[in-house]
Amino acid sequence: MVSQLLIAAVVGLGIGACLQKGRFCFVNAFRDLFAYKDTRVTKGVIAAVLVTMVFWGTAYQFGYFQGFWTPGWGLTGLVGGFVFGVGMTYAGACASGTLYRAGEGYVQYWLTLLFMGVGYVAFVIAFPSLQSTYFASLTFGEGVSLFEISPVPAGLLAIAVAVVATLAYATVLGRQHAGGSERATAAEARPATIVGTPVVGLQRLAAGTRAYAAGLRDAWADPVAASKRPWDPRTAALGISVFALIWFTSVSIVGVTGPEARWSGYLLSLAGVDAGSFAYWGSVLFRGAGVGVTVDMVMIAFLILGSALAAYWSGDFSLRMPRKRRLPNAVLGGFAMGAGSRLAPGCNIGNIYSGLAELSVHSFIATVGIIAGVYVMTHWIYREVGCAI
Amino acid sequence: MPSIDDVVDSPDELDDETAQELYENADRTQDMMGEVCPYPQVEAQKGLQKLESDELLVQETDHVPCTENVPKAVGDDAEATVWRSGDGVYRIYLRKN
Repeated sequence: MVSQLLIAAVVGLGIGACLQKGRFCFVNAFRDLFAYKDTRVTKGVIAAVLVTMVFWGTAYQFGYFQGFWTPGWGLTGLVGGFVFGVGMTYAGACASGTLYRAGEGYVQYWLTLLFMGVGYVAFVIAFPSLQSTYFASLTFGEGVSLFEISPVPAGLLAIAVAVVATLAYATVLGRQHAGGSERATAAEARPATIVGTPVVGLQRLAAGTRAYAAGLRDAWADPVAASKRPWDPRTAALGISVFALIWFTSVSIVGVTGPEARWSGYLLSLAGVDAGSFAYWGSVLFRGAGVGVTVDMVMIAFLILGSALAAYWSGDFSLRMPRKRRLPNAVLGGFAMGAGSRLAPGCNIGNIYSGLAELSVHSFIATVGIIAGVYVMTHWIYREVGCAI
Repeated sequence: MPSIDDVVDSPDELDDETAQELYENADRTQDMMGEVCPYPQVEAQKGLQKLESDELLVQETDHVPCTENVPKAVGDDAEATVWRSGDGVYRIYLRKN
C-alpha cells in the first residue's frame, strides 16, 4: 500500500508538471484546430496517444499490467461524450486542464471542479432510473480492448496502428502542403496523390521532428532556463507517456473524472452523507469496497500539486480571481462535464487519451462524441468571427 | 541550426522597459484579467477589426495559454509580441498589419 501511494505521488506530480509546462489542453487541441487550423496542441495530443499506445501494448504483451478500463460499448459514448465536449468547450478546459489550472491558482477552475462535483452528484441520484432506461437501451455490447482479442501480439498491433495513424497524418499534412490549387483537380490526380501526398507529408513530418529534436538539444544546453520556459506540447506528451506507463504497470489506466466522482462521494461521506448506500458510489465507483480514499484519488490530488509546483517554478502561479461574466462557464460547463463524463462514461483523459491508447471499443465512440461536442460549441462561441473548419 | 523558438513557436518576448512604453502608447487596450479561453482570442480578432494598419492593440491577461493562442488566432492580421511579468500577468502586443 505504501509503495502504491508513493507511485501515486510520483505519477501525479509528474503528469501535473507536464500538463502545466505543455499547457496540455484537449479543448485547445480541438477548438483551435476548428477555429484557426492551429495544430500545435493537437500534435501533442496525437503524440501522447500514439506513444502511450505503443508503451501500453508492449507492457501488456509481456504481462506488465494491472487491467484495462473497458465499459460496455454503444450510443452512451456518443451522447455522454457530446454533452462532455460541449461542457468542456464552454468551461474553457478539459478534465485534465481543469485540474492543472486549479493548481496554477485559478479560482475559476476550482469553481468548475465544484460544479463538476454537482454534476456527479446529480448523476448518482438519477443513476437507478438511468440504468434501466438510458444505459439499458443504449448499451449494445460488452466492452473490450482490441489488445485482448487481437490474434496479433499487442505490442505489434500498437506499432501497426501507430504507423497507420502516422501515415494518415502525413497524408493530411501533404494535402495541406499541396494547397488549394491541387484540391480542385484532386479527383483527376488521385492515382498520383495516393502515393505522392503521404510522401510529401512524411518528409514534412521528418523535417518537423528534426527541428524538434534540434530544439531539445538546444534546450539541454541550459536545462534550468529551459525548465522555466513553456514546453512544446510534444515534450509534455512524451513526459506524460512515461508516467502513464509507470501507472499502467502498477495500478491501472489513467483516469480523471472517475477518481473525481469518487472524491465527491468521499467528501460527502465526511459531511455525514451515507454515500455507500447510493448504488453508483457504493457498487460501481467503490465496487463494494466501502467509501474511502483510493490510490487513483491520491494520484489526481498530487496532479494538482505537481501543476502548482511547476507553475510556481515557471512564474505562472498566481491566485486568479474570475470575472463575474465567466461564472456561467464554470457553473454550466462544469455541470455538463461532470454529468457528461458519467453518461459516456469517461472524460477526455479516460476516452481520448487512455481509451484510444488501450484500443477500447467504447472509447472510439466516445471520442467521436466528445469531438463533435467541441465542434458544435466552438462554432457557437465563434459565431461572430467565424471558424476555419 | 533551428533554435528552441522554432520548436515552441511562441512569439518574441519584450523586455520590461519596452513593454511599458508600448503599453502606454497603445491605440487600444483590452483588459482580459480573469478571462478564460477562447474569449480573449475572439476579442482580439474583434479589436483588430476596429484598428487601422500599424496601430497597436494590447491585451493584459492572467491566462497563461493566451500568450500563444491569441497570436495564433490573429494569424497574419497582426505581428505579435509578448511580455511576461513573472508573477502570472502577461501582455500581448498585436501590431496590425
